[in-house]
Amino acid sequence: MSYAIEVRSLTYTYADGTKALNGISFAAEAGKVTGILGSNGAGKSTLFLNMNGVLTPQGGEVLLDGQPVSYARRDLPELRRKVGVVFQDPDDQLFSADVYRDVSFGAVNLGLPESEVRRRVEDAMERTGITALRDKPTHALSYGQKKRVAIAGVLVMEPSVMILDEPTAGLDPQGVSDIMGLLQEIRDKLGITIILATHDMDIIPLYCDHVYLLSGGRMVSDGTPEDVFSHPEILRENHLRLPRIAHLMEILSDRDGVDVSRSAATISAARQEILRLLHEGR
Amino acid sequence: MGTDRCAYLSRLRNVDPIPKVWFTLAVLLICVFADSVVVGLFTLAALSVLNIVVGGQRTGDLLHFLKVPLAFLIIGCLTIAIRPIGQAEALWAFRLLGRWRWGITAENLRLGLLVFCKAMGAVSAMYFLSLNTPMTDLTMALERLHVPKLFVELMELIYRFIFLLAGEAGRIKVAQESRLGYRGFRRSMHSMGELLSTVFVRSLHRGNRVFSALESRGYTGSLTTLPGQYTPGRWLYGLAAATAACQLLILIAERRLLP
Repeated sequence: MSYAIEVRSLTYTYADGTKALNGISFAAEAGKVTGILGSNGAGKSTLFLNMNGVLTPQGGEVLLDGQPVSYARRDLPELRRKVGVVFQDPDDQLFSADVYRDVSFGAVNLGLPESEVRRRVEDAMERTGITALRDKPTHALSYGQKKRVAIAGVLVMEPSVMILDEPTAGLDPQGVSDIMGLLQEIRDKLGITIILATHDMDIIPLYCDHVYLLSGGRMVSDGTPEDVFSHPEILRENHLRLPRIAHLMEILSDRDGVDVSRSAATISAARQEILRLLHEGR
Repeated sequence: MGTDRCAYLSRLRNVDPIPKVWFTLAVLLICVFADSVVVGLFTLAALSVLNIVVGGQRTGDLLHFLKVPLAFLIIGCLTIAIRPIGQAEALWAFRLLGRWRWGITAENLRLGLLVFCKAMGAVSAMYFLSLNTPMTDLTMALERLHVPKLFVELMELIYRFIFLLAGEAGRIKVAQESRLGYRGFRRSMHSMGELLSTVFVRSLHRGNRVFSALESRGYTGSLTTLPGQYTPGRWLYGLAAATAACQLLILIAERRLLP
C-alpha cells in the first residue's frame, strides 16, 4: 500500500497559545478518498494549512510520496503545487471578479508558458463543468458554482493531493451529490488523491475509502467507514453521530433483536440486509 | 452593478479593452474641449447609436443609464442659468425677497445649455466604455497602460470584495431590523454603529483567510492572472478617427456659420 501523503506526530500551536494540533498522525492512500471527521474547532483547517506549507509545523513531519517535505522557502512553491487546498468558503478563495482569470491564477504562479496555462484552464473548466460560466462575473454565481470554480482553480496546478475543507457544506442535496460525483471523477480520471474534511456523516460510507476521526488536535480513531461506524460510542463522544441508515441498523439490532449487520450504512447495504432477512424468513 | 451586467452581455465583451479605452478617451476629450453645444449633442447621439448598433445594448437599458445623471445635470444647469443678474438685460427676471434681481440672461442660458450638452456627450462616451467593458477587463487594460500594479491590484480586490461586504452588511441589517434595531433615531444610530464595526471586524478575518487561500495557490506578492482571449479591436481605432473627424467638422462648421 503506498501513501500519497503521510503526517507523523505533527504539532502546531498558535501564537496566542491555542494548541491546535497535538501530535497528529495519519496517512492518505494514493488514488483513494480519505475522510477526516471532526467537529468544529477540531483542528482540520490548521492541519491542512500545515500540509501545504502555508503554516510550518512546529514538530513532527509530513511525507509526500514517502519523501519528507521541506519547509524551506524555496521548496514551498512545489509543495503548494503538489498539495492543493480547496477552502470551505469559496468567497475566501475567489479573489477575482472574472472566472477565467481566477482559475488561471495558480497556473500563472507556476511560471508556465501562456499556451500551457490556457490549456490547463480550459481543461479544468471543462472537468468541473464551468465552461459556460466564463462570461459571468464571480459575484453573479451561485454558491455551488463558486465551489466548482474554486476546485477548478486548484486543478490547474495539477496537484497530486487535493484537500477539501467541508466540500458539501451549504449545498443543497443535488449540489452535494454533484460535487461528490465530481470528486470521484477527479480521483478516477486524474488519479488525484483526495482528502476531505466533513461532518456530513451520510456521505462518508458512500464516498470515502478510509476515515479518520479528529478530535482535540489528535486522531482518536481510524479505519474503513464500516470499522469506524461499528464504534458509535466514540463518534458520539466527539459530537458526531452514525449515518442515519447505520443508526437504524443499530436500533433494529439492539432494541428489536433483529439479526442485521450493524455495518450496513448505505441504502444499498441496507437493501441487501432487508432482502436477506426476507429470504431467511420465508 | 447594472453596467457590469450589460458589459458581460455586450457584443464587444471579448474585444481587447485597450482600443475601447482610447476610443472613449479621444471622443470624450474632443467633446469636452470643443466647448460647443452642437458637438455635445452630436457626441450624445453618435455614441448612443454606436452603443446600440456596435455594442448591441438594448435601447431601454441605455435610456435608463442616461437618465441617471439627468437629475443632477438639470439641477446643476438651472443654477447656472438662473442667477443674480443686477441690471443686465434679461429674458426673464424676478425679484428675490423684493430686493435682489434674479433671472435668466441670454449669456447664462447659453452657458447652462453648453454645460448640459457637454456633460451629456461626455457621459455617453463614458457609457460606451462601461457598458461594453467588464470591470476586470478595464483594470487589466490599466495595467497594460502602465498604471502602477499596486493600484490596479487594489482596484481588483476592492471591486471583488465590495459585493461580499455589501452582502454581509445587508444581511446584518435585516437581522437587526427583524429585532427592531432601527426604531427611533437613537437606536438607529446605535445599530448602524454596531453594523459598521461588525463588518469591519469580519473583513479583517476574511482578509486573513483570503491571504491563506492566495498563498495556497502560490501567491508570492503579485496577483498576476491570464485574461480570456480577446479579439483584437483595431477597427475601433478607425471608428475613433471617424467619430473624432465628425466632431471636428461639426465644430469647424459651427464656428463658420455662427460667428
